Amino acid sequence: MTPPAGSLLSAEQLRKAYGPTLALDGAEFSIHPGEVVAVMGPSGSGKSTLLHCLAGIVTPDSGTIMYGGRELSAMSDAERSALRRSDFGFVFQFGQLVPELTCVENVALPLRLNGTSRKEAERAALTWMERLEVDDLRKKRPGEVSGGQGQRVAVARSLVTKPRVLFADEPTGALDSLNGERVMELLTDAARSTDAAVVLVTHEARVAAYSDREVVVRDGRSRNMERAV
Amino acid sequence: MSLSTGERPRALPTGPVPDGGRSRTRRVAADLAMGVRFAFTGGREGWTRAVLTAVGVGLGVALLLLTTALPNALEVRHERETARTDITYVDERLPKADDTLVVANVGSDFRDDSIRGRALEPEGPRAPLPPGVERFPAKGEMVVSPALKELLASDSGALLRERLPDRIVGTIGESGLIGSGELAFYQGAEGLAPHIEGGRIVRIDGYGDPNPTSERSDPVLLLLILVIFVVLLMPVVVFIAAAVRFGGERRDRRLAALRLVGSDSGMTRRIAAGEALAGALLGLVFGAGFFMAGRQLAGTAVVFDISVFPSYLNPSPLLALLVAVAVPTAAVLVTLLALRGVVIEPLGVVRAGRPPRRRLWWRLLLPLAGLAMLYPMIGAGRDNGDFNQYLVTGGVVLVLVGVTALLPWVVETVVARLGAGGVAWQLAVRRLQMSSGTAARMVNGIAVAVAGAIALQMLFAGAEGDYTRSTGQDVTWAQMEVTLPSAVPVSSAAAGKLRDTRGVNEVYDYSEGHLGDRALDPEATTTLTVGGCAALREIADLPSCADGDVFAVHGAEWDTGVDMAKLAAPGRKLYLDPSYEGSPKSLEIPWTVPRDVKAAKPRRGLLAGIDRGGVLLTPKAAPDTLAPALEGHAYLRLDESVPDVHDRVRNTVAAVDPLASTVTWTETERTGRFDAVRTGLFVGAACVLALIGASLLVSQLEQLRERKKLLSALVAFGTRRRTLSLSVLWQTAIPVALGLLLASVVGLTLGAVLLKMTATPVRVDWTGVLAMAGIGAAVVLVVTLLSLPPLLRLMRPEGLRTE
Repeated sequence: MTPPAGSLLSAEQLRKAYGPTLALDGAEFSIHPGEVVAVMGPSGSGKSTLLHCLAGIVTPDSGTIMYGGRELSAMSDAERSALRRSDFGFVFQFGQLVPELTCVENVALPLRLNGTSRKEAERAALTWMERLEVDDLRKKRPGEVSGGQGQRVAVARSLVTKPRVLFADEPTGALDSLNGERVMELLTDAARSTDAAVVLVTHEARVAAYSDREVVVRDGRSRNMERAV
Repeated sequence: MSLSTGERPRALPTGPVPDGGRSRTRRVAADLAMGVRFAFTGGREGWTRAVLTAVGVGLGVALLLLTTALPNALEVRHERETARTDITYVDERLPKADDTLVVANVGSDFRDDSIRGRALEPEGPRAPLPPGVERFPAKGEMVVSPALKELLASDSGALLRERLPDRIVGTIGESGLIGSGELAFYQGAEGLAPHIEGGRIVRIDGYGDPNPTSERSDPVLLLLILVIFVVLLMPVVVFIAAAVRFGGERRDRRLAALRLVGSDSGMTRRIAAGEALAGALLGLVFGAGFFMAGRQLAGTAVVFDISVFPSYLNPSPLLALLVAVAVPTAAVLVTLLALRGVVIEPLGVVRAGRPPRRRLWWRLLLPLAGLAMLYPMIGAGRDNGDFNQYLVTGGVVLVLVGVTALLPWVVETVVARLGAGGVAWQLAVRRLQMSSGTAARMVNGIAVAVAGAIALQMLFAGAEGDYTRSTGQDVTWAQMEVTLPSAVPVSSAAAGKLRDTRGVNEVYDYSEGHLGDRALDPEATTTLTVGGCAALREIADLPSCADGDVFAVHGAEWDTGVDMAKLAAPGRKLYLDPSYEGSPKSLEIPWTVPRDVKAAKPRRGLLAGIDRGGVLLTPKAAPDTLAPALEGHAYLRLDESVPDVHDRVRNTVAAVDPLASTVTWTETERTGRFDAVRTGLFVGAACVLALIGASLLVSQLEQLRERKKLLSALVAFGTRRRTLSLSVLWQTAIPVALGLLLASVVGLTLGAVLLKMTATPVRVDWTGVLAMAGIGAAVVLVVTLLSLPPLLRLMRPEGLRTE
């Protein structure tokens, strides 16, 4: 397979089934550095599965995924884990912060997993927290902050390793519109400033509006949408 | 304006929703019943919780029932022992009659087991039958206990069968035995009467101790038993407390849902109590089952060097009822206590904020109060009689409960100070800092078991010293001693047979008697020993020796206070087997010290460890008239590498004279009971720790399941599985290490106090401490290893799927 010219991450003919349920049925995808692509679709359409496959969390049953010229689907679990630590960042719907760690420790966690010393990791984490306007929460635990604040901490955590691709799965799904918009502004601004590509899974048009391009997934198949200006 | 619909408006109901007139009691019962239903219909978690609670409660019930049954068992044993008593030291000799029976003690040993054996010779038709025996065995016949019958029929009992070749014509009934594992036999005999003498062969006209004593247990042993039960019971209580909390979060969510549909907070608590009650009631059934199984098992086990029949273990009905009520009640109370810090709201469960910092002062009060209760008994010792059972039990319970109270404080204080290390360490430490109570609760059971076991180990080590004494026997000189009945010297044929026995290297045979300066009530007495020169040289330094010589040993410890020069003065008339006022007349055989009696020096350390003295005669110097008053003894030097050498000797001795007895010499002598108690303790502790390990594992898995999504998310951004596995290990290991440390300190303190109570020097049994700590550590390792496969499964990315 030849990935689209200049693309950072691309997928072709992805198929993935969970038991009898076909989640992906020939889905295609590509993203360029610094691009924000919204993956949209109704519940159960396969958009989260597509994200998981693209991020190397789940291996597809068939099809190819290329990242930076390497075939992701051919990598071992350890290689894919290493890639996720170094090149990818993640934001989930409910933040999925580690409840017992403080916010700054949560943000520093991916760096620490990469072997960065605690001090250095927390210093970098604080910079990102300032940027996402949550530096005053550094000593608080996730249970002590609001949903919007927690999600911003999660965004800071996803960006702290300066990933080349940021995967965001319904990042505002648990937030009110005001908080959701603020999180999206901060997320996309921060990503663009580091030239990171963002794969944004959402079913909200309001959130998708922050993207450069939209891909709609329906019944496991993907389709590029032209944006109405 | 008025509304006119042409129809009379229906009145809206006002006031509270009618409850069908149910009384408060019925409502409470209905809430409890709903809880009981939830326990069994709440899915796998509900079942797991109910079954684990039931197992915990069941073990508690079984242990308590056993505790209440134990005094009864010991009493029954004592009664049966008294009822079959035959040989007692009575001075009065019965004349032969048609209701008399001559009984000889022909008991023996086989390997490490004692065998109670009696030879019976009824002297008339009305001779008393021993309890449990239906008819007297004739000569050449015997009736045996079931355990002995089984042993004799087995391959391992073949050697014993040689010694007991009589035909087995019956089995001794339960009423004639004091334990299911007792090895006992009654054999028919003839011609016993001429050998009647106080200690081994007697004439009786009835069974039973003429002067019965009430059973009085050794206070140290009683203390040990009490502490063992407390030590075993406490972790079970802790386990019950942990078990009723299993699946707590899921249960809380269910309770919140009930609140949403209208339950008030009292109702939800009652429903939760009902759930716990279900487990507790099931536990009662389990407990009865465990007890019955344990009762049957007790019939096959030999613990404490004794065995019991299952029928002995009957708890008093009142105590059993108390147990049946108290244990389920305790389980319900624990649940309600656990819910104290939780506010169940319709939209979810709110933990009562950040728990207040734990206070140390009242936690310290518990063990201190326990020590204060034990303090008055310090130095009471064995000799001073009993310990106050209530104070001992109360004190030990308080000290051990103190561990459970102190541990949460210790864990909280220590983990709060732990710095952040690697990611795995940090994840574990932060988790512990957030909920140290959960961790401490999980480890409490281990800590109590270890603290108690360490204290007991120390008590054993101390008591062992007390119960192990030197016999003074020089086992390098001889390893076995054979004693023949009175008037039976060791014949050369018998000595030859002993010499021919495989494994016997040397036989020193003597005949011994008691010599006095007067026929009646002698003032000075000593021993008269007849033996060959070679044998006599083993017990005294002889100047020279030839058959026909007589020696008087001077300065022997044996004859302290006896002037041998005067007693054994040449030409003096002495009496062998003198009589004493108030006792039946003895043989009073006169013997005159020969003119050529030679002086000899004692040899230290041989027979029974003390230098023997008295008068030594070579065979030619001993007239035949002395024979009736002499008792044959043979000392054997053995090659102990020969398998079953002691039993081979016993077989030879039994063939030489069935009434002869043998003694195996040992350097030290100790009551074997402690070995059994120690083994029992280790088995008990291991079982309890396994139980706690199971509860740790279930808690761990439940915690992991609840964090399934988070674990998947951590893996999604590249967390190594090793890191998460290590964090699980640390999460268990840190509280367990703290628990073991605290348990060691408390255990050593309690052990020291218990030793002081028995007036025994305090010694720390470090092997025991390390062994118990090692078992605790092994539990952590096993729990971690067993939780790894589910952990790895939970870390799969599927955990991120929501659809």
